[in-house]
Amino acid sequence: MRKLWSVVTALAVFLPGAAWAADVVVWHAYRGGEKAAFEKVVAMYNARPGAPAKVTTLAVPYDAFADKITAAVPRGKGPDVFIFAQDRLGGWIAAGNTIDPIDFYVDDALKARFIPSTIEAMTYRGSLWGLPLNYKCLALIYNKKLVQTPPKTTAELVALAKKMTDKSAGRFGLAYWYSNYYFHAALQNGFGGRVFDAGKPVMDAPENVKAAEYLQGWIKEGFVPPEPSDTLVTSLFNQGKTPMVFSGNWFLGEIESGVDYAVDVLPAISEAGGKPMRPWTTVEGVYVAAPSKVKEAAFDFVKYLTDLDAAKVMAIEGRQSPANTKVYADPAVAKDPVLAAYKKQVDVAIPMPNLPEMTLVWSPATTAMGTIVRGGDAKAALTKAQEKVVADVANLHKTKP
Amino acid sequence: MNDPAPHAARFHAGLGAGLALALALAWAWLAAATAGGTEARERKDALAAAHALAAKVEAAGATEASAAGAVAAWQKAQRAGTVARVVLVDGARLAASTDPADAGETAAPRRLRLEEKALFDRAKRLRGIAEENAQGVQKTSEEDASRREDGSWQVAVPIRRAGAVVGAADVERPAAPPAASGGSGPGPGGRALAALLALALPLAAFAPARRLRGPWAPAAVAVALFAIGFGTFVAWASRATGGAGDGVSALSASAVAGLLALGVVGSGIAERGLRALSKNRVAYAYTLPAMVGMVVLVFFPFFYGIVLSFTGQTIFNVNEPLSDLWVGFTHYKDILGDLALVKRVEDGSLALNYGNFYWTLIFTVVWTVTNVAIGVSVGLVLALALNVKGLALRPVYRVLLILPWAMPNYITALIWKGMFHRQFGVVNYTLMLLGFEPISWFDGPFTSFLTALATNGWLSFPFMMVVSLGALQSIPADLYEAARVDGATRWQQFRSITLPSLKPALVPAIILSVVWTFNMFNIIFLVTAGEPGGATEILITQAYKYAFQQYRYGYAAAYSTVIFALLLTYGIFQNRVTRATEGI
Amino acid sequence: MVLVTLYPLLWVITISFSGGQSLALAALPPQPTKLDLVRAVIPWPQTLSAENYVSVFRDQPFARWLLNSVAISAATTVLGVFLACTAAYAFSRFRFPGRRTGMMSFLVSQMFPGTLMLIPLYIIIVQWLGLGSSRVGLVLVYATTAIPFCVWMLKGYFDTIPKELEEAAVMEGAGPARIFWTVVLPLARPAIAITALFSFMTAWNEFILAATFMDKEEMYTAPVGLRFFVGGFSQSWGYFAAGSVVVSIPVVFLFLYLQKYLVSGLTAGSVKG
Repeated sequence: MRKLWSVVTALAVFLPGAAWAADVVVWHAYRGGEKAAFEKVVAMYNARPGAPAKVTTLAVPYDAFADKITAAVPRGKGPDVFIFAQDRLGGWIAAGNTIDPIDFYVDDALKARFIPSTIEAMTYRGSLWGLPLNYKCLALIYNKKLVQTPPKTTAELVALAKKMTDKSAGRFGLAYWYSNYYFHAALQNGFGGRVFDAGKPVMDAPENVKAAEYLQGWIKEGFVPPEPSDTLVTSLFNQGKTPMVFSGNWFLGEIESGVDYAVDVLPAISEAGGKPMRPWTTVEGVYVAAPSKVKEAAFDFVKYLTDLDAAKVMAIEGRQSPANTKVYADPAVAKDPVLAAYKKQVDVAIPMPNLPEMTLVWSPATTAMGTIVRGGDAKAALTKAQEKVVADVANLHKTKP
Repeated sequence: MNDPAPHAARFHAGLGAGLALALALAWAWLAAATAGGTEARERKDALAAAHALAAKVEAAGATEASAAGAVAAWQKAQRAGTVARVVLVDGARLAASTDPADAGETAAPRRLRLEEKALFDRAKRLRGIAEENAQGVQKTSEEDASRREDGSWQVAVPIRRAGAVVGAADVERPAAPPAASGGSGPGPGGRALAALLALALPLAAFAPARRLRGPWAPAAVAVALFAIGFGTFVAWASRATGGAGDGVSALSASAVAGLLALGVVGSGIAERGLRALSKNRVAYAYTLPAMVGMVVLVFFPFFYGIVLSFTGQTIFNVNEPLSDLWVGFTHYKDILGDLALVKRVEDGSLALNYGNFYWTLIFTVVWTVTNVAIGVSVGLVLALALNVKGLALRPVYRVLLILPWAMPNYITALIWKGMFHRQFGVVNYTLMLLGFEPISWFDGPFTSFLTALATNGWLSFPFMMVVSLGALQSIPADLYEAARVDGATRWQQFRSITLPSLKPALVPAIILSVVWTFNMFNIIFLVTAGEPGGATEILITQAYKYAFQQYRYGYAAAYSTVIFALLLTYGIFQNRVTRATEGI
Repeated sequence: MVLVTLYPLLWVITISFSGGQSLALAALPPQPTKLDLVRAVIPWPQTLSAENYVSVFRDQPFARWLLNSVAISAATTVLGVFLACTAAYAFSRFRFPGRRTGMMSFLVSQMFPGTLMLIPLYIIIVQWLGLGSSRVGLVLVYATTAIPFCVWMLKGYFDTIPKELEEAAVMEGAGPARIFWTVVLPLARPAIAITALFSFMTAWNEFILAATFMDKEEMYTAPVGLRFFVGGFSQSWGYFAAGSVVVSIPVVFLFLYLQKYLVSGLTAGSVKG
């Protein structure tokens, strides 16, 4: 045991010295199927003749990823490329020395490769800060054995859900994490609500209040479970106690093998004039780190990763929804019903705001949602949230240069 | 007292040390002030030059064709070695450049090359800022200036055409040549001479010191000589640098430091300290490694945190030096002065303001007291039970009871949370089994508190049990024998033998447990997540939110310092009480 | 009492053997009877399967990460206990200026909220000392975290050991090191056991520093590896539960080993009497 340790320690000391020239280090938070697909893409890249650099990867647990980036990158100890969601974008830009804008390398032809809303998600203050890799948004996932035709409007949804609910047996017609603001945003945006209006918070806009009261209606009808959480929703769906769920493609990996599921677009809101539900799109982007010494090589890999061949692998084997539009024309991808459904959904989805002020919104919003789902006064709860957000934003900007 | 000879030695040593320290500090301030003054001036000049260039280019129409001429005209008035580039954002064009390398094939106007990405990024960033400022949301500086290692400045300012930013004037201005900075400060040679004179004159006054008697006379003479030497140096330095108005505080600090050194060495404190050090060197050697580790890895970051709490650092100004962000006690005033404990709600009744510091404080104290009480009592009871001789399967029980500590608390905390679910949790199932109604645990602050209490109690009793077990072992069995012979009951035995013997082990464990529970982030975060509506937050989870959700690092640091101050007060108080009762 | 203690753990074990990934829900039929409620409350998986355990070790270098954890925690224990012993011995036996302050400062160091310490610690360990991605860096930080409690605990124990024993040994011609090893340490065995267990646990379950300092996958520790299963959008509780059970086992073994030092009551009593 001791000998093993000394050997391992010795290796740890000597191995870093054996680095290749022009090594591009990539950090990501993938695991399981996504990780395998990603490593396959990296292998494909490294195998190309004439590749300017060799790419090595490091997987980091999701919970530690943002902290690790914030600690390591500005001090020059981080990777050359990293992959992460775009909601932290504003914060990293404000902190400085973390990511570089990439407009310089990008021309309109390259931009045309992507779904427009995903490019918008990666843009801040007029500059493009990374290339979009894939997107995640909510959609309707249903158990084909229990529901043959998915509802197209909320009127149909409510009727169907009520029929399938039996509270004493623990059966609920619809289950989703409705007390989580991110999930509720699908309803809220559908009613025309929003969080920011030209950079100013508008948490208590009348549309937001209307959406909150609408949700309260659903809760009162009793076809959604009380105290929802993602673990509860997963359990209910897997045990066949819930036929319909609103969730993203991350949910699909948790569905047990016995359940026959399908994905469809979220129903249109009958009470809002048939407007579709507009969930937030979280775009996962690839960024070049600001202190990187091999930026051109890094960007070459970034371009490859978002290109057609890589997108195909990530879509089919990694079960991601690529931001690359052309990949959906590929036959193997086109005939996948799940990918097609999410693509249809993202066309009506709204990119999640990437302002640094967005992180100030979550806590008051969660508090407000807590009051709302317990039947409290929706307008009062949202007004309280608005006051808090406005105060916090003001405090944050007090010392802005 | 002491005879004059060693007295004089201390006198001179003290005076020398004091003056040397004060002069060194004053010299250091001088050098920094001169450099700082130079730096500020260079920055202003560089930016002025860039603005002048931008104005010329704009006057010429801000197009690629006209840029070269404007730049050439401007270049004539600049310091030798200044390089200017006019960058246009659309198309990433280098419109004009005075870089000698940009000639022939690479002459402007042309597209920017790959390695010139930084130029493009700067121009684009300035454009973005200008557009945002135009919207009126916030005002960010529309200048970009950074100083390079060699003292040269790289600045950029926007260039506008018809009101919109189209590019930037990027100027690299080399550092001022040394000759040009003449007159802004005394040269090193002059400074050294002045310092030596200031040092030598008082030391030469050794004759009066010899003949002095009495404890106060030498001190008075030392301070007087110090004042003369230091004062002379400062007066000369102020004249040489052209006024030291804003350096008064720095110079006063140097003077105070020097006087302290004078006092410490001259009065013999230093000598006594050194002697104590060598006398106890074994003890210090034993404790040194641990102390060094503490200082570097714990006190140092904490000191940084305290300094941070006096600044207004947020994510937006993370790269600025802390001295620019000084806000003094503002954060502390905001935290401690927030007396809005209750407020009126819409329907006219009073409601608790859960975000208030004092509510969170009260809650944290209640949380800590109840948790430690439960942890200690359960742990102690179990340890006593396990200590009974002849208990079957004792090792088995011991191992089983340590398991809550062994399993990672991330999953166990979430299992507990699941157990309290209103519809599907086993706690409510058990209640229903016993004939009670199920409770919505997370709907009210009190029940929510109970869930966290149950979880943390479950997690923390093994530790207390282990400590108590170990402490119980050191009580000799004959004491109990003797007490039984005397006719003491079990309870009397417990109170007079067991408890006092447990104290030395339990007291530190309890104090530390109080401190750890006060700062127990995981359980509150995972189990209640502050439900309902932030009622069950404790101080540390609030601090976390301020730091990582609101990005207000300075404020969060102040919050953490307040937490520390509270715990420190408790620790001192507790220590005094314990020592008083034990009569150590 | 044992039942209450074990109950949540039984659920963890149940999930780990269930072959699935969801945090188990107790299944209730409509109009549940008392028997149904009882059955729901007893943790037992719907389907028994060891698939989770197999997958944990097969799909990632979990064994390697466990070994890293063992190495780091063992080093932390040795270093922490050793430094704490010497410091506590000095605090207990010697009277020197700064003794009280030193003790208080150990206590005080525990009062700093650690949540904001990540960046300064990163700067010190990785930037200034260059110990990023090395086990030494983590061991240093963990040992420093564990020392204060160990010092306080050990000092308390050393205080109860009568000085006459040491003086007797000195008269027999033993040097300070021998006195320490042969006279003092054996009597403080319970305290050493406690502090060893505590130091080990401090290092064993720590996640965020290990994840931030280590830049190579083979250097990760077990808690970092565990967190791959949960977090972000999707959670695989089956794998996490299996991993948690595996991660708990070395701690149990350590405790079993240290138990005999916790029960050295008879010897302690006889010497003091």
